[in-house]
Amino acid sequence: MHSYIRPDQFVAICLPSDQTRIVKVIPDTIVQLGKYGSFPANQILGRPFYVTYELLDSPESDGHQLRAVTATELHTETLIAEGEADGEGEDLEMGGDGIPMRTNRETFDDSSSQRLTVQEIEELKQEASGSGREIVAKILESHSALDQKTAFSLAKYTLRKRKKYIRRFTVLPMDVGLLTNYMLEERDAQRTMELRDEHIGLIGCWGNVHHSGDATFNSISTVQPNGRYLVVDETGGLVVAAMAERMGILYPHDGEEDSVDEQDPPPGDNGGETRETEVPTKSRRNRRVPMSASGNTITVIHAYSQPNLSLLKYFGYDTNNPDESHPLHTHLKTVSWMQLVDPSADPIYSNEPPVIPATELASLKQNKRATYYHKRTRWERVKRVVDEARAGDFDGLVVATLLEPPGVLKNLVPLLAGSASVAVYSPTVEPLVHLMDMYSTARRTAFINRKRDLEAQNDGTVDLSQLDEEFEVDPTQLLPPTLQTSRVRPWQVLPGRTHPLMTGRGGAEGYLFHGIRVVPTTVHIQAAGAVRKRRKVATSTPASDRDVDMAP
Amino acid sequence: MPSPFLTPGSSTKANELALLHLRRDQTIPTILRTYDDENLGYDEGKVTNTRFGSFPHSTIIDHPWGSQIAASKVDTGSRGRRAAPPKRKAEELDASGTTTGGDEEMPSLKTPVAAASGFLHVLYPTPESWTMSLPHRTQVVYTPDYSYILHRLRARPGNTVIEAGAGSGSFTHAAVRAVFNGYPEEGPATKRRRLGKVCSFEFHEQRVGKVQDEINQHGLDGLVEVTHRDVYEHGFLLGDPQTGKSPKANAIFLDLPAPWLALKHLVRKPPSGAESPLDPSSPVYLCSFSPCLEQAERTIRIMRQLSWLSISMVEVSHRRLDVKRERVGLDTEGVRGATLHPKSVEEAVAKLRSDEERAKLGRSGLLQSGDASASKKDSSAQMSTTPSYALGRLTHRSEPDLKTHTSYLVFAVLPRDWTEEDEQRCRQKWPSNRVNSAAEETPAKSRRQMKKEAKAQKVQEKGEEQQTSEAKSES
Repeated sequence: MHSYIRPDQFVAICLPSDQTRIVKVIPDTIVQLGKYGSFPANQILGRPFYVTYELLDSPESDGHQLRAVTATELHTETLIAEGEADGEGEDLEMGGDGIPMRTNRETFDDSSSQRLTVQEIEELKQEASGSGREIVAKILESHSALDQKTAFSLAKYTLRKRKKYIRRFTVLPMDVGLLTNYMLEERDAQRTMELRDEHIGLIGCWGNVHHSGDATFNSISTVQPNGRYLVVDETGGLVVAAMAERMGILYPHDGEEDSVDEQDPPPGDNGGETRETEVPTKSRRNRRVPMSASGNTITVIHAYSQPNLSLLKYFGYDTNNPDESHPLHTHLKTVSWMQLVDPSADPIYSNEPPVIPATELASLKQNKRATYYHKRTRWERVKRVVDEARAGDFDGLVVATLLEPPGVLKNLVPLLAGSASVAVYSPTVEPLVHLMDMYSTARRTAFINRKRDLEAQNDGTVDLSQLDEEFEVDPTQLLPPTLQTSRVRPWQVLPGRTHPLMTGRGGAEGYLFHGIRVVPTTVHIQAAGAVRKRRKVATSTPASDRDVDMAP
Repeated sequence: MPSPFLTPGSSTKANELALLHLRRDQTIPTILRTYDDENLGYDEGKVTNTRFGSFPHSTIIDHPWGSQIAASKVDTGSRGRRAAPPKRKAEELDASGTTTGGDEEMPSLKTPVAAASGFLHVLYPTPESWTMSLPHRTQVVYTPDYSYILHRLRARPGNTVIEAGAGSGSFTHAAVRAVFNGYPEEGPATKRRRLGKVCSFEFHEQRVGKVQDEINQHGLDGLVEVTHRDVYEHGFLLGDPQTGKSPKANAIFLDLPAPWLALKHLVRKPPSGAESPLDPSSPVYLCSFSPCLEQAERTIRIMRQLSWLSISMVEVSHRRLDVKRERVGLDTEGVRGATLHPKSVEEAVAKLRSDEERAKLGRSGLLQSGDASASKKDSSAQMSTTPSYALGRLTHRSEPDLKTHTSYLVFAVLPRDWTEEDEQRCRQKWPSNRVNSAAEETPAKSRRQMKKEAKAQKVQEKGEEQQTSEAKSES
């Protein structure tokens, strides 16, 4: 999977300042790290992820200027501290060796304790080698009150100085978890609806999103296409990416056995640019038909004429210029709300380009013929995808939307197969509290009663649209509506200094609504216990609703 | 056999696990049977009895998933045997709920007759619903924890996950869903594709048997491999602890009392010379799940010594929210769940005023019984315009019982091994010095030198630009 850094892949570079930069590793180019310097991309290509490198001031003979920092070196101080703690025993009060523990009683807020001036530090920066370690050491040396610092404040001071001057970086693979945190902390969190890691996990699990098995492997899935998910995603594609990751269709190299000896583009070949020129010249017949997969698919319902899935570009899939070899090319389908709700109003869907017989087609000019094929295939694609979506029988629904949730569920829940999961994410609780109320027991009971009354009036055949005015959704289609929230609390674990982190990100908490699509029987069933037992059951008529006369 | 967890198909099938959903948090897992497997003497064959009625399995089998099933009239009394109590334990998983069976001697089963009331919904199992209804053997890893863990472990289709401490099997089911990308039975061909797998290790022999039975019943054979093993002593190789096959794991979940004792086996080159259980070609993600801080601290200490990176510890706090309409007001007399109290200053003042007036009248002995009832009628007339389900203020609060602490989750990564040969091969393939813009031989340069040169070049370019523009203007 993420076994080594591939050319033209997006990776994240983590800097000592805890900043993350997302970089496309293009062969034969320079990667810029701002104030920490720069290095040629070739020096990390083909190398493993999660390695920390130090920028060397004097490169090796072949020009290599990165030194891999070993794990032991990264952990040095903690390991030493742990070793000392082992020797001295755990009694921190005494500070070991009978010397009373230092406190901050004697320290003063005073900038004069650092005897190096700004100019001197600047000069040091100019001269120093050793990737900033010397600077940090010098600064620590010339701090007059260093011996007064407690172990804790010393650790903090060292860390602060190191973050500023040490020239190290770590290369991390681009995945959904990383992108989530990057968008949350380094970009505009609103764009991804302040989606956090813990909610990505929850959405995936409660939405029951998973790979549907390989159709060529097992006979069951060839009979009935499954693993089809409906999505409403207004997070710029983050939710789609999270689902695709779980379904094994996010990474261009998904499903391949990883090996370094794999065929890579020849050196010097700029993959990103050649791809653009390649697409139009490729023979039409050899193209993989977009949105053609029958199982393990994601169908995005979008509010504008084009879906916003721009974040997928970090995984090698640019929606404006799709890479045909990418699994999402066939497995990601898009349908607009208009195509779903009222397809006849959609100009592409409703206007079938007339079929031109082959003989006539041969006589047409090249560009006319191309236009004909283009229009024809586009119509066929839209028709197929829209009809498929409207036919329903989806295996799950995941929603993260700015639209009113009840309207979304009203239209999409009927398209789900029985027992399919529904997961709705919202950064704030209010829309989901409202949604919970739409599926409340009291409302469900009222709905059933009203429906029965209508049935009695019209001899069994009922037009349920009469109930639309009163009920925003059909409350009998989802059970049991559940609302939850989750939050992760990070800790600092260091020898003798373990505690939860002092600060964290505020903002939206994030909430998740979950329900399961059920199919009510057409025959009326009385809830058990409603008559005989005094205690009411959740699925039956609650007594609290009896006080009001509901009859029309 | 396909697993109802992964590929449930479109309808219920005999001999497969199905969940009988009664109400929130009350779901009975049961294996649907066309025959009576326990000989409990019902005329209708196998029957599941619930507090909402009796359900012969013949009325459940071959229905679309999600269907509402009506209860049947079942003679439960004359069998001369009481049904088992509804309390479920691990030992009676098969007989989940008050599951009972029909009469063996009867060749044809009685056709069930629909009862007057009672129903349930039949759902296919998911790791989430299974977690909520599974028989507890040990502490359960619940959805908020395992969803986050699997996300952080990057457990994706085609991966191999090691799980030590199979426990109650909730994590097992979630993990197998995460890595599933096809059943292994068919065709040993296509070596290109790696099939996802969970390797589960458990040292409690009885629990191993239980987990194995569960895996068989749930159609997960081949996707989950259960090994009876003390991993502290004998490590994580499949089969023989010394010479066995490596699972080539990409992700590891440790739910052990002393995870640090197992860590020594999870290295790239075990000192014993045995094969490493880790995938040599990918980074390995690890999560250790410990309820106590001391355990977590000790684990992290050993992790640092064994060169694990990106070590972090978190705890997950999760709440379910109850949503309720709350009604306050003087017009709510007799309404259940409502509070009889003035809902506003106006109402309070009005109430005080009317009370005062009534008291005055009472003192003067002029109170007429008609007044009070008249005012009541007024308020009830106002009420009937909005249906009761929309009355009151919509509120939400945390569920009554919170799980305030589950465990500390320690995460870490072990990058793949990188030898000097690997590095040299990479340097040949991607020459360290080659940069597109500067095709000519560039000698080793320091950062400062590069910067200087870049600056100089910029200045030069600018100068040239100026020259050319000047030349243009001159011409």
